[in-house]
Amino acid sequence: MKIANELKKRKTPIVKIDKSLDKFDDKVLFPEKLEKANAMLKKVGLPKQWTAKNV
Amino acid sequence: MKLPKYPLASSDKMMTFEFVSEGKKGLIHKLVKYQPTNLKGLYNLAFGDKDLKTGEIDDEVISNNGDSEKVLATVVATVYAFTDKYPDAWVYATGSTKARTRLYRMGISRFLEEVTQDFEVLGERNDDWETFKSDIEYEGFLVRRKS
Repeated sequence: MKIANELKKRKTPIVKIDKSLDKFDDKVLFPEKLEKANAMLKKVGLPKQWTAKNV
Repeated sequence: MKLPKYPLASSDKMMTFEFVSEGKKGLIHKLVKYQPTNLKGLYNLAFGDKDLKTGEIDDEVISNNGDSEKVLATVVATVYAFTDKYPDAWVYATGSTKARTRLYRMGISRFLEEVTQDFEVLGERNDDWETFKSDIEYEGFLVRRKS
């Protein structure tokens, strides 16, 4: 019970590794979404709030 | 988040996650994919339904399986898992439609206090980035793990 409650509270989930999913890693599954994200990054750029701190 | 979540499976590199939504329409296999963008270290989060017959992924389908909160909580869980593995990664997310982007915003807003304990969250608006606020419509979201 204690373990079950502990698992419920965990923010980082327990993830089972399934090697059959490896084939998706190098595939662009959602090309339009990726294209949209890249277009946004080109237009908007990176957030100054974060890049300034990283310099 | 302390919400119920679905069990997760992932690829070895934790770039692709899969879970099964169980609802009024039965079992629906979902894939969450972290795709590298043109900017190193910045990943695009995409998720959609997996058609088991064709292997195709549909990111525009509205499943209406009656479990959207649990699905959203599970997607957030993948962000935790992904950023545990890649703590310096930045994750960008936007919906495939305005309605879905709004759904994401509502999800982040609802758990903002909890989310911001672990992540910095920015909203994309008017071609700029700003600190996420619950009552504002955004076109996309960018998150990174707090160090």
